[in-house]
Amino acid sequence: MSLTGLYVARADSLGILFSELRRLGYVIVGYRVVDGVLRLEELDSFDEFAHNVEDIQSPGKYSLVSGGFYRHGPDSPKRFLYPPTLTLFRVSKEWVASTPTYEERNLAFFGLKPCDLASIKVLDRVLLGVDEYYTSLRRNLVLVVENCTSPGGTCFCSTMNTGPRARDTFDLAYTRLGDKLVLEAGSELGLRLLDVLEVEPIDDATYERFEVVMRNASEKARAGFELNGLPEELELRIESKVYKEVTERCLGCANCNMVCPTCFCFDVLDTPLIDGSAERVRVWDGCLNFTYGQVAGGHFRPDLWARYRHFVLHKFAYWIKQFGTYGCVGCGRCITWCPTGIDLRETVKKVLRGGKDG
Amino acid sequence: MTTLTPLKALITRVRTETWNIKTYYVKLPDEAKLPKPGQFNMLYIHGVGEVPISISDLDEESRIAAHTVRFVGSVTKTFELLKEGDIIGFRGPYGIGWPMDAMINKNIVLIAGGIGLPPLRPVIREVARNRSAYGKLIILYGARTPEDLLFTYEYSDYESIPDTEFYVTVDKPSEGWKNNVGFVTNLIKYVDVNPSESYAFVCGPEIMMKFATQELLKRGFKTNKIYLSLERRMKCGVGLCGHCQMGPYFVCKHGPVFPLWFISKYFWVDQI
Repeated sequence: MSLTGLYVARADSLGILFSELRRLGYVIVGYRVVDGVLRLEELDSFDEFAHNVEDIQSPGKYSLVSGGFYRHGPDSPKRFLYPPTLTLFRVSKEWVASTPTYEERNLAFFGLKPCDLASIKVLDRVLLGVDEYYTSLRRNLVLVVENCTSPGGTCFCSTMNTGPRARDTFDLAYTRLGDKLVLEAGSELGLRLLDVLEVEPIDDATYERFEVVMRNASEKARAGFELNGLPEELELRIESKVYKEVTERCLGCANCNMVCPTCFCFDVLDTPLIDGSAERVRVWDGCLNFTYGQVAGGHFRPDLWARYRHFVLHKFAYWIKQFGTYGCVGCGRCITWCPTGIDLRETVKKVLRGGKDG
Repeated sequence: MTTLTPLKALITRVRTETWNIKTYYVKLPDEAKLPKPGQFNMLYIHGVGEVPISISDLDEESRIAAHTVRFVGSVTKTFELLKEGDIIGFRGPYGIGWPMDAMINKNIVLIAGGIGLPPLRPVIREVARNRSAYGKLIILYGARTPEDLLFTYEYSDYESIPDTEFYVTVDKPSEGWKNNVGFVTNLIKYVDVNPSESYAFVCGPEIMMKFATQELLKRGFKTNKIYLSLERRMKCGVGLCGHCQMGPYFVCKHGPVFPLWFISKYFWVDQI
């Protein structure tokens, strides 16, 4: 929710915002170019922030060019809020169990996209008050969001109603509009950040331009299907042959699960240690992995098509029943980072088109 | 917050049941609630791993719960090495069990396949203990071979419970076997009760549960009178790790015991 309405500042105010967050003691996490890919990492200075590159994304393809606007890379906030590996407990030789205490950290995501902001809202429903690590980080989390003026080739946030403009849950949302920065505060902290900049209420001409840019962006981020009735329609076609067709080229690598900003499934690794103690580590797992549905003496989803169907139906149907929200935010990562370019948007459309037996 | 850290628990007794199944009697940690029939616990072997095991018996007074384990996976195979006096990790009880409260004055039909009998044994115990509270009890049990049959030492106890019928069958008889031969679903023909006054509890391999369910439906059991205890991969037991999902349900949290009407939309779907 906007506390202020829109304000305008000079484009180079972004660096001042960054410095102010540093001064306030926040660990800043934002996109940085690493080996030709945008990675979410802790940033020490504004120069490291990848505000001057563009990622070109299409099914199975990702590259960076200089200039333009970034969207995202394979990392999502999940990597920080729900880390890929986390020690759950240690049990000593004498059977004394200890749980690690997690260091309190004041994290600020800087320049996060609205789809990823939405992914945090989804994870809130799943993990807040349940997962201790997530909850402790989330409590003090600062969210500075960059509205997406130029969605990429695999984006469909408009369809999922998660972007390209952030509407709520942020501390500060900004939009880069030529030499101007359009700003909106969503919290007390956001207001404080606005205070350190030279801002003016938005003028009519800039507002009009802002509206046009966001509208055009919105048009670019459509999947070609509508959410209206989608969960029910997909469940009615639960036996669709489309899943078999699509997964003919699926490798079962679970990249889609790993890059998905909302996939929360985990496996545990129990390890005996050299001192006689043992630890359990939580590691990300995904429904596309072969072992995901396997038990000793059986397998509930031995075929890839069944595992992929679970992924699709979980995101668009089951999640609603479990958590009251879609599990997909339309970021398109599962499409971009699929080694064979399987396109979730196309799968959904094909299933809908195919009819009950198709 | 949800904790996945196990409590320390003592194995008070180990009983050999078959060539690959033993029952582990575990003294419940003081912090743990008493489990109900159909609920399960997460049992952890130091440094090896954790498995969900249904309780197969419970002594409320001494707070000792029995867990009957078949040695099939990497963790359960390690269970074979455990003995009386050993310590294991314990979390639980978890899940929703058999709806015993709704069974008052109703007939109960238990259909168990293989290692599916242990989760149903607490129901038999409860009926025996409070015999007048329930209607007729019919137990149908099938295993692969006579050597795989569980709890053979107490079949006479089952048969001596008033107003109780007990039928047992094996898929492959060995020499000297004089009882039924064939799948447990073939025994459903012996069930002579008014379906509207009866409930069926089913536990066993998924394929057996599907056939049993079809048979029960044919015999007039409604979908709200058939309860199934489902099995899935489980890593947490509390609806977090995701592995046990069946359609939108977390089997560990929303089940493992489900009325058929609850899951019927998904239950029949291949590899759901």
